Amino acid sequence: MSPQPQAAVGAPLSRVDGRLKVTGEARYAAEHDVDGAAHAVLVDASIGRGRITAVDTRAALAHPGVLRVLHHGNAPRLPYRANSGSNNPPGRRLRVLQDDLVRFHGQPVAVVIATTLEAAQHGARLVKVRYDAEQPSTDLAEGEPGKPETYARGDAEAALRDAAVRLDLSYRLARNHHNPMEPHATIARWDGGSLTVWDKTQWVVGTQQELAAVFGLAKDAVRVISPFVGGGFGSGLRCWPHTVAAALAARVAERPVKVVLSRRQMYAGTGFRPAYDYRLRLGSDRRGRLKGAIHAIDGETSSYETFTEGIMTAGQTLYSLAAVRQAYRTVSLDVNTPVWMRGPGFASASFVLETAMDELADRLGLDPIELRRRNEPDEDESNGHRFSTRRLRECCTVGAREFGWESRPLQPRSRREGDWLIGMGMAAGVYDPGRMPAKARARLDADGTAVVEAASSDMGPGTYTAQTQVAADALGLTMRTVTFRLGDSLYPPTPAHGGSMTMASVGSAVLDACDQIRRQAIELAVADRESPLHGADAEDVVVRAGRLHLRSDSARGETYRSLLGRNDRAHLSADGSYAGPPDSERLTVHAYNATFAEVAVDATLGLVRVRRMLGVYDAGRIISSKLAESQAIGGMVGGIGTALMEHTITDHRDGRIVNANLADYLVPVNADVPEVKALYLEGNDPDADPLGVKGLGEVVQVGVAPAIANAVFNATGRRVRELPITIEALLQN
Amino acid sequence: MTAGTRPGKLPTDPALPTRRTFVATTTGTAVGAIMVAGHSAAAAGAAAEVPATRVSLTVNGTRRTATIDNRTSLLDLLREHFGLTGSKKGCDAGACGACTVLIDGRRVNACLTLAVRLEGADVTTIEGLADGNELHALQQAFIDQDAFQCGYCTPGQIVSGAACIEEGHTGSPEEIREWMSGNVCRCGCYPKIVRAVQQAAGGK
Repeated sequence: MSPQPQAAVGAPLSRVDGRLKVTGEARYAAEHDVDGAAHAVLVDASIGRGRITAVDTRAALAHPGVLRVLHHGNAPRLPYRANSGSNNPPGRRLRVLQDDLVRFHGQPVAVVIATTLEAAQHGARLVKVRYDAEQPSTDLAEGEPGKPETYARGDAEAALRDAAVRLDLSYRLARNHHNPMEPHATIARWDGGSLTVWDKTQWVVGTQQELAAVFGLAKDAVRVISPFVGGGFGSGLRCWPHTVAAALAARVAERPVKVVLSRRQMYAGTGFRPAYDYRLRLGSDRRGRLKGAIHAIDGETSSYETFTEGIMTAGQTLYSLAAVRQAYRTVSLDVNTPVWMRGPGFASASFVLETAMDELADRLGLDPIELRRRNEPDEDESNGHRFSTRRLRECCTVGAREFGWESRPLQPRSRREGDWLIGMGMAAGVYDPGRMPAKARARLDADGTAVVEAASSDMGPGTYTAQTQVAADALGLTMRTVTFRLGDSLYPPTPAHGGSMTMASVGSAVLDACDQIRRQAIELAVADRESPLHGADAEDVVVRAGRLHLRSDSARGETYRSLLGRNDRAHLSADGSYAGPPDSERLTVHAYNATFAEVAVDATLGLVRVRRMLGVYDAGRIISSKLAESQAIGGMVGGIGTALMEHTITDHRDGRIVNANLADYLVPVNADVPEVKALYLEGNDPDADPLGVKGLGEVVQVGVAPAIANAVFNATGRRVRELPITIEALLQN
Repeated sequence: MTAGTRPGKLPTDPALPTRRTFVATTTGTAVGAIMVAGHSAAAAGAAAEVPATRVSLTVNGTRRTATIDNRTSLLDLLREHFGLTGSKKGCDAGACGACTVLIDGRRVNACLTLAVRLEGADVTTIEGLADGNELHALQQAFIDQDAFQCGYCTPGQIVSGAACIEEGHTGSPEEIREWMSGNVCRCGCYPKIVRAVQQAAGGK
């Protein structure tokens, strides 16, 4: 088929849903107007482990407006069919109100349903739950680790023994919570045996499948609707207990029910980036060639599910290393189950690897970029596969030039401006983006407009806009004449909106559907005696702004409208698909970045201020340049949070999260974020997927925290191996 | 770190409580009593013991009178009773700014403001910023600069930014950053929010 001219893809367009978002018209999960909806509020456990011995609902039920109080003693038993999909980790998932066991502090133990939000909130405070409490185990350092996941190549012990330079470093990474601005919320409605939920989710298909399993329904009996998602960063990748609770409450109350988690409930009610204890031993020769690495990784999981993430990959593939050994253990604790959070695994690993590389560079007296250059692999050494594209060196070179890396103080703690110590740091980042099977359908109407649908999500990156761009170019239509719809399980299924896989997977399916329609139209035209294109070579026909014409003679052609009208075709339609990478693929598709930071640290107070940042990315083709810039800036801002502020703190005496709010769990605000700049290397990765993209959402947050940590070292001479980097750590003697 | 939002001037003359719960009335162009969604007649009867207050206030230029549960925040009044869901609930504790509205021209966290305090108040929400089809300059600037991603904090940012411009706190990027730090954006659009406020301020 003839290549289509590109008008929309790559252009710096504004969001197609921008007007809805700036006027407040975009409807998020809790905002759908569902007739007769009651409000429900969850009561959560005030102990960290144990059993419920009694639930006294009298005061709550006596409160005006309270309709029902559900708890394990009166809630219907649910089938909870096995479901290995829906991003459920191995284990036995939490069964909402099905037994008297308390597995973590904040677990939902009752649901109060009322006619008004005020009554439901008040009623929830009136439910008296008595417990037989046990001592919970919530401290990663004290828990019992499980059997490790291991990896080895070469003889790492011997390599380290023989290495001229050896580092033995121990790290502690704090637990982080996604804290999307929109709290998780669900409105559930039953129509006979069919369930409809309006939900905040990054995967309507996954939530549909899980609700069907929990309630013992056919998948088609559940519909999940989620047109707008107010941020997620991973928190919407699973169907959480409150969504089940909403559906359960709606069934019992025999009316629609709305559940909105409070900000506090978001901490135990969804997931989190797990805390890690990580020991890395690294050896190199005197010229900085890495010789061996041994990783011992312990991460949090719950007592009922085993959550793991890709924390081992970067240590196997980012640098050339003959000998690597890794052991990754999960530690079962009396906590809720973690879930992937932006740059999952890779962001955590990058803090360890990239600050260690900085330490090594300092030890060897090498420039940190030069050290990375000396360890550039020719292939993926974990499996011998070729890299589809790997432009990490270029990221470093461009970044160094643009950031003014040559002005970096060579000696730590050697630049001072008044009270402030100034330093610069950099780090490399890598992410292994997902590419999963996806479907989409497209319809071109006789009026020359098109509708494209896929059950995807848009939690903020701009799926609506970017998919419209892909569809518009493939159909040869203007942006304004294409409507892309998502967020409904009635649309063709897509993978979860996470892991940087949406553009590659859904985008490729959209491209396929729209290519098919264009082909149908061209074939119709060249076979139609009345068409100006009759008899033309289909390969020579392109479509631009809704008009088919010869590439070699743009005067010869006609519009979709006239073609479809004359042929009495109400529309053309097609189902598109993307199968994912072939099983036989011997290719490693990774996205890369080099991130640079300049910080100022108050010499007396230990206060760290980021002054400026730059990220340079090798992410393949960029579909939406304006939105891609926003994603990268957002990733760097998220990384500032991880580096300097974010830390979910648990009181190990009772397992309670003590800072489950946005006043005590600190996230960056505007005053914390000065100049932040993002540059994408112009490129295309045709081996990766039909669109040539490598995904952006994760890689932009990988490498940010270590770049800041390395800048703090350069400013102060103080190496902090803990996240977040606190004032206390910098003031300790 | 938060700054830049503070309570507005509030009327001190509380209206008399009444027992007519759950009936909101709108006066102005359309006059009449409406049942608030979710409140059946039976439920209204049961809930009649809840202390309630009749309040008249102006929202986006329309005078509204409602008899409301005294526990109701302005944010819940807007979202759950008036169907104005543009103002967002992010934390319900005054820490995120997603619910920012103007009360008598000053920016306020609607989640921390009890609705019964607002007799006679003039409230402007995101729904009231545009002039018909013509967007407020800051709404347009947010689109132009791509100053949002998920869009959930955006109404609060824009209402806050519009007030920031009126207050004259746009002299430099640093000043804007300081005076816009009561509004959290978890997608991390801050540099673009500053650019959008600068664009709409037009050098003010």
